[in-house]
Amino acid sequence: MVADYLTIAEAARLIETRELSPVELVDSRLDRIARLDDRLHSFIRVLADEARAAARAADAEIAAGKYRGPLHGIPIGLKDIYETAGVATTGHSKVMQDHVPKADAFSVAKLRQAGAVVMGKLATHEFAFGGPSFDLPWPPARNPWDTSRFTGGSSSGTGAAVAAGLVLGGTGSDTGGSIRGPAAYCGLAGIKPTYGLISRAGILPLGFSLDHAGPMAWTAEDCAILLQALAGHDPADPASAKVPIPDYRAALQSGAKGLRIGLIRHFYERDNEANAATRQAIDGAAKTLEGLGCSVRDITLSPLADWAACGVTIMLSEAYAIHEANLRRRFTDYGEIFRDRMALAGLITAADYVQALRRRRELVDELDRAMADLDLVMTAAAPSEAPPIDQVPKFTIMNPPSLTMPFNVTGSPAMSVCCGYTDAGLPLSFQIVGKRFQDATVLRLAHAYEQATPWRQNRPQL
Amino acid sequence: MTRQELDAALARLGLDVPERERDDIAAAAHFIAEMAARLRPPGGRDVSAEPAHVVRFPEG
Repeated sequence: MVADYLTIAEAARLIETRELSPVELVDSRLDRIARLDDRLHSFIRVLADEARAAARAADAEIAAGKYRGPLHGIPIGLKDIYETAGVATTGHSKVMQDHVPKADAFSVAKLRQAGAVVMGKLATHEFAFGGPSFDLPWPPARNPWDTSRFTGGSSSGTGAAVAAGLVLGGTGSDTGGSIRGPAAYCGLAGIKPTYGLISRAGILPLGFSLDHAGPMAWTAEDCAILLQALAGHDPADPASAKVPIPDYRAALQSGAKGLRIGLIRHFYERDNEANAATRQAIDGAAKTLEGLGCSVRDITLSPLADWAACGVTIMLSEAYAIHEANLRRRFTDYGEIFRDRMALAGLITAADYVQALRRRRELVDELDRAMADLDLVMTAAAPSEAPPIDQVPKFTIMNPPSLTMPFNVTGSPAMSVCCGYTDAGLPLSFQIVGKRFQDATVLRLAHAYEQATPWRQNRPQL
Repeated sequence: MTRQELDAALARLGLDVPERERDDIAAAAHFIAEMAARLRPPGGRDVSAEPAHVVRFPEG
């Protein structure tokens, strides 16, 4: 009998010591998907036969002494904007429902090389942007903590599937918060790595200069394991950075002592007012971090609305350019939320876009200056717990200003970390942000925080 | 933005937006105008202020 919930690190230890076989683990997840996913709708497509075949192959390799590492035999899911050879990659949209790529995305190939078992393709907001939508070929994913609640988006299926233990980890993408939002609402750890760290080749784009691929899992340690496999230069992605890749999991052992943290309190106390539960949880997180030997002091940046205006203008402009031809030809094949947001995007002028790019340079410099004598900053990841899924406004990306978009604008590594639960049992979260290419420091603080708090022991009751 | 202005803009874009969705879009158009205003500092920007197409990467 395989436990309902296992982290990647726990399962990897059992697999390496031959106490658990990949076949047993994959079968247990397929059983769980069959039992639970009709309520959660986290999967667009379950690849049961392919997953069993990959698990058998992993079993055979491990039995032959060829253990590849901590992802070998681990069941994961892919947001359905990650291209998969011979398997439809739809963007959760009628517009691409018959799109069958010939090759895996670079990142998918890397996960397979590490031995991960792909269980299927996961729900997303349409093209990683428009949702939650009820007028698409597949329903929106539901939050496992309360299925009447929003998962956050756009990596909605990954948030739901990981939280529910249907997979042990998965991929998301983040153009304005699409990893960190679902991670926050579903109680996960989710990191948007530094821009350029993970190749976006073979991932359906939303906004080229803001798009980040990244992992979502139950713990920071699991994110570190996934990031290790995903990170690395790819000449097929023009933004892919040639930088050394550190050992992210080893970095976790350094602890948090001595880290200098700036708290951007005005983002969530004034600019996008968080509710009382969220504020209390973040105050508690700051105290915990001080108890771990960090220094925490308030810092002030430009108003959140400035960061959001910059990022949203760029995102909408780039998304419109990507979808322009299909919007003209087949407007109503898109869902209403996506297409109406795109109609608004069409109102942005070329001068607006260039002004946003100029503002971006100023904001990047502003954050760099603010962090000159800091290692990290922290702020809210979301202003509240997950709202009801039927109360998400059509144009929510524009108002109130996004708490996550600032770090897409700067390309900084940014992570959502669970920091407690409401009285009703819904997850709360905060956001840790590092300097570019210091993703390991972000993971290190998140791991130290998780080890010092009880939040990772609590799982959805399904 | 008035409905008439929106209809003209959508026609220029070549988008066939269903009638029932047009009022929603017109009502939200102020978000675009507000963002555009925020991108322009009072007094303007130095003419040589270049845009950032991507973030700067460290050497090596």
